[in-house]
Amino acid sequence: MGATLVDVAWLYGAVGLGVAALFLVFGVGRVMESARGAFLFRPLLVPGIMLLWPVVLWRWAALERGARVDLRAHRPPLRAQAVLAAVLAVVVPLVLGVALIARQDGPAEAPAIRLDTPS
Amino acid sequence: MSVKFVPVQWTANKWVYDAVLLACVAGYILVFIRVGTPLADTTRPVDGAIVRMRAYGSCAFFMLTFILCIGPLARLDQRFLPLLYNRRHFGVLTAVVAAVHAFYVLGWYYAFSPTDAYEALLTANTSFDRLIGFPFEMLGLLALSILAILAATSHDFWLAFLTAPVWKRLHLLIYVAYAAAVAHVALGALQDTTNPAFGALVVGGALLVVGLHLVARGGGQAARGTEIFVADVDAFVDGRAIVVPIGGDERAAVFRNGAALSAVSNACAHQNGPLGEGRIIDGCITCPWHGFQYRPEDGRSPAPFTERIPTYNLRLDGARVLLDTRANPPGTAVAPLPLPDGRP
Repeated sequence: MGATLVDVAWLYGAVGLGVAALFLVFGVGRVMESARGAFLFRPLLVPGIMLLWPVVLWRWAALERGARVDLRAHRPPLRAQAVLAAVLAVVVPLVLGVALIARQDGPAEAPAIRLDTPS
Repeated sequence: MSVKFVPVQWTANKWVYDAVLLACVAGYILVFIRVGTPLADTTRPVDGAIVRMRAYGSCAFFMLTFILCIGPLARLDQRFLPLLYNRRHFGVLTAVVAAVHAFYVLGWYYAFSPTDAYEALLTANTSFDRLIGFPFEMLGLLALSILAILAATSHDFWLAFLTAPVWKRLHLLIYVAYAAAVAHVALGALQDTTNPAFGALVVGGALLVVGLHLVARGGGQAARGTEIFVADVDAFVDGRAIVVPIGGDERAAVFRNGAALSAVSNACAHQNGPLGEGRIIDGCITCPWHGFQYRPEDGRSPAPFTERIPTYNLRLDGARVLLDTRANPPGTAVAPLPLPDGRP
């Protein structure tokens, strides 16, 4: 199971590297006006494309079909942020409290004894 | 604001910010190792390798804690705004420090067996059904994976490519990463630490993050109808804005520019920064986060920049300023509303 997961992760990354090469050479200049003639920043995008290449392919296709780049740009996810902050306010104290209550102190009745260093 | 993408948009303030940040991180790790290493030798349960991984791990945790405090602190007191200007570099450095911690862990706990280190990490402990002895390493892996995604998508390209709302939602994963990091520390290092100061710092820092977010949360009640009351004309300060929730996730910022009022979306087109907390500089609404600018009368960035934000229609009812909550398309020109009696 573990070996399979590691193999899948390597495969995912390898495909992502291929997508990064294609997108940065052929795609980014076609769909992003601010990227035309700009090359130095492109290597910085490689890790992100490797991690999110399915999203990159989806967005690349959408932009090729003419989707607007600034779609809904004035609607930040304020409610989602408030919900996540509220969830954090519950989860963090809960996790810390449970972990500290369950914590087992060391064997005070049989403390560790330092052995003599071999001569 | 940039016409073409560049690797990093350096400014003098960013150089200073990054220099201070690097100095603090290097200082923390050096002091941690300097103090910890003499206490660590092969006759003790904690040796030098573990001291180093704890130095980087605790550093990453406290950096993440600090990062999550910056937003609410800046909202509560504008003197904290400079901390926010270069928060992305802070985040990238946090991911790097956390990755160093992970590599030390892999190179020590999982390096001395024939099993591949990554495979061993995933299979060495699968006791997900118990609290004490829970595979807290998986929680750290989750947090690190999220930090890696956020760091890798921190360039402005990703904002433009994914659109700001999608990018913002992706980066809200920082809360998931923090919850995972807290659980990673609570079920890991806190279980065997004998240093009460470390425990107090972890618990205090995490509760500070939670408390600041609760204190600084903004109002977001939904507006009813298409026209809402903003404020009386006397309430407006020249060059500043009054922000009003207009339903759902949207807010409008009504700016007074001399003797007239203009209303725009409160969300900057760059990173959805709170424009209403900025001010008018050189005739343009200036975002407090990264200095992106927009003309009040049409929500467009001055040439050669191309950013646009929605505008709103205003009208006066006596001394009351009313706003039509139906947003105009980004960049739509709206004649500024003159203040009555030619108020200065």
